Amino acid sequence: MNNDLLVQFKNVSFRYENEEGEEQNPLAVKNVNLDIRQGECIAILGHNGSGKSTLAKLSNSILIPTEGSVIVDSMDTSDEEKSYEIRKTVGVVFQNPDNQIVSSIVEEDVAFGPENLGLPREEIRKRVDDSLKAVGMYEHRLAEPHKLSGGQKQRVAIAGIIAMLPKCIFFDEPTAMLDPQGRKEVMKTIFKLNREYNITVVYITHFMEEAVLADRVVVMDNAGILMQGTPKEVFSHGERLVEIGLDVPQVMYLSKALKQNGVNIDTDILYEDEFTDKFTALFGEKNVTD
Amino acid sequence: MIKDITIGQYFPGNSVIHRLDPRLKIVLIFAYIVAIFFCKNFQSIGLMLLLLFVTVLLSRISLKLIGKSLKPILIIILITSLLQIIYNKNGEVLLEYWKIKITTGGVYTAVFTTIRIAALVLASSMLTYTTSPTMLTDAIERLFSPLKIFNINVHSIAMMMTIALRFIPTLIEEVDKIMSAQKSRGADFESGNLAKRGKALIPIFIPLFINSFRRAYELAFAMECRCYRGGEGRTRLRQMKMALRDYLAFLITTASIAGIFVLNHFFAAVI
Repeated sequence: MNNDLLVQFKNVSFRYENEEGEEQNPLAVKNVNLDIRQGECIAILGHNGSGKSTLAKLSNSILIPTEGSVIVDSMDTSDEEKSYEIRKTVGVVFQNPDNQIVSSIVEEDVAFGPENLGLPREEIRKRVDDSLKAVGMYEHRLAEPHKLSGGQKQRVAIAGIIAMLPKCIFFDEPTAMLDPQGRKEVMKTIFKLNREYNITVVYITHFMEEAVLADRVVVMDNAGILMQGTPKEVFSHGERLVEIGLDVPQVMYLSKALKQNGVNIDTDILYEDEFTDKFTALFGEKNVTD
Repeated sequence: MIKDITIGQYFPGNSVIHRLDPRLKIVLIFAYIVAIFFCKNFQSIGLMLLLLFVTVLLSRISLKLIGKSLKPILIIILITSLLQIIYNKNGEVLLEYWKIKITTGGVYTAVFTTIRIAALVLASSMLTYTTSPTMLTDAIERLFSPLKIFNINVHSIAMMMTIALRFIPTLIEEVDKIMSAQKSRGADFESGNLAKRGKALIPIFIPLFINSFRRAYELAFAMECRCYRGGEGRTRLRQMKMALRDYLAFLITTASIAGIFVLNHFFAAVI
C-alpha cells in the first residue's frame, strides 16, 4: 500500500552519548513517528532544542536512533552497509553554508558528491552543470565561494546535494544565517526543486512565513511531535503554538485584530496575498490603496 | 593587512601557462630551480632568465604583480649580496679601503646570488599564480601516489591541503570579526611592548580555535552526507591528460637546461 513512502520514522528516540560516568543526557528525540511520502513538501517547526536538527541527522544515518528505526526507501539506517545508498537517497543541507563547502571553486565543490560516487567524468560534468543551472548559479561556476553572498553560497551547497540526485532533501534551517534577500533566494530554490524536479523536500525553520508555504507542517516540542497537518489546520491552534514559544504568521494577528474591532474577516488567513484579496473584497480597491 | 599577501595566491586566467598540466608544471619548475644553481656564467644564466621571461609573458600576468611578489625578499637579497661583496676575496681587487676589499669575484657572486634568489621566487610564484589550489593539490596527490606502497595515505594529505586552502579566507574573515568584537569591548592590540601585544592576541585565538573545531565537526557531517569515504573509488571531474602544449613545454625546458651545460662548457665560468 505505502509504495510512495520514502522516509519513515518508527517510534524513534535518540540520546546524545555522554562521557562515561556522567549523568545521561536527556532524549533529544522522543518516540517520533513520521511518514514522509514521495513528492511532499514538509516544514518542521520548533524552537531551539526541540530536537528538529537531530531529526535531520537521523534521516540519512549520520546519527542512528537509540530506539526505534528510520526506514529510507525500505532500507534501515542502522544497517551500516546501506548507509552509502541511504545518503544517496536522502541529502541534508545544513545551516551554515561556509561549513559545507569543501573546495575553493564552485564547480569543483558541486562535483565533490558525484566524485565520491565514482561516476564517470562526463556524467559528473553533466550533473554539475545541471545542478548549478537548477539553483541559478551556473554563471558563477568558476567563482571562489568566499566571494559569494550568503544566499549564493547556500545555493551552491544545495547544488552539491542535488548533484547526487537524491529523492529527498532535508534542509536544516537553511535560511537562519542569511539576510532577507538570501532567504528569499534559497526558499525559491527549495520550492522549485519540489515542484519542477519532484524532489521530496523537508525543511526545518522557525520563520512562520516560510512554514505556511509547505504542504504539511510538523510542529515539534520537547523532543516529540506536538501536532501536524496542513498549514491551516496547524495554525488554527494559534494559542497552543504561542504557548510553546512559537508564533503565528503576522497576517493572522492582523486579521484577528480586525475581527475584534468589528470587521467581518476570516481569522484563519495565512498568506499575505490571501489577506489582500479578502480585504479588497470587503472594502474595495480604492480604500485599500488609500 | 593579511589580505595583501600575494605569495601563494592564484590569479584565474586562460593562458597557455594556466592550461598546462599542473603535474608537469610542478616537475618543470622544480627542475628549473635546480638548474639555476648549475649556471656558471652570464650566458647560461641569461638563457634561464629568458625562459622565465617568456613564461611570464605567456601567462599574461601583469608585470606590476610580478614586481610586487619580489618586494618581500628584497631585504634578503640585499643582505646576502652585501655579505658576498665583503667576504668574497677571489679575483682581482677593484677597491680597497681600510679593511674592506672589494673583488671581482665578490661582485660576480653577489650578482649571481641576486639573480638566483629572484628567479627562484619568481618561478615558484608562477606556479601558484597560474594553478588553482585544487589543481595543485590534485597534482600533488597524483605525483606522490606511488608513495602508497609505503603505506602513506596520499589522498588524505591532499584532501587536508584542499580544505586548509579553502578555509584560509573564511578564517581571515573570522579573525577580522573577532578583532572588531574585542576592540568594541575595549581590547587594545596596537600599544605596549611585544609581550603585551602577544598577550592581547589570546582573546582572538581562543574563540578562533573553538570556532574552528565546531566548523570541522560540521564540515565532517556535510562531507559524510555527500558520501565521502576516503580516496578509494573516487573519480574526478578534471582528468589530467598531457596535451601537445605540455610536450612542447617539456621540450623547451629540457632543451634550455641542456643549453646551460653547453654554454657552461664553451664560455669561461665567472664563479
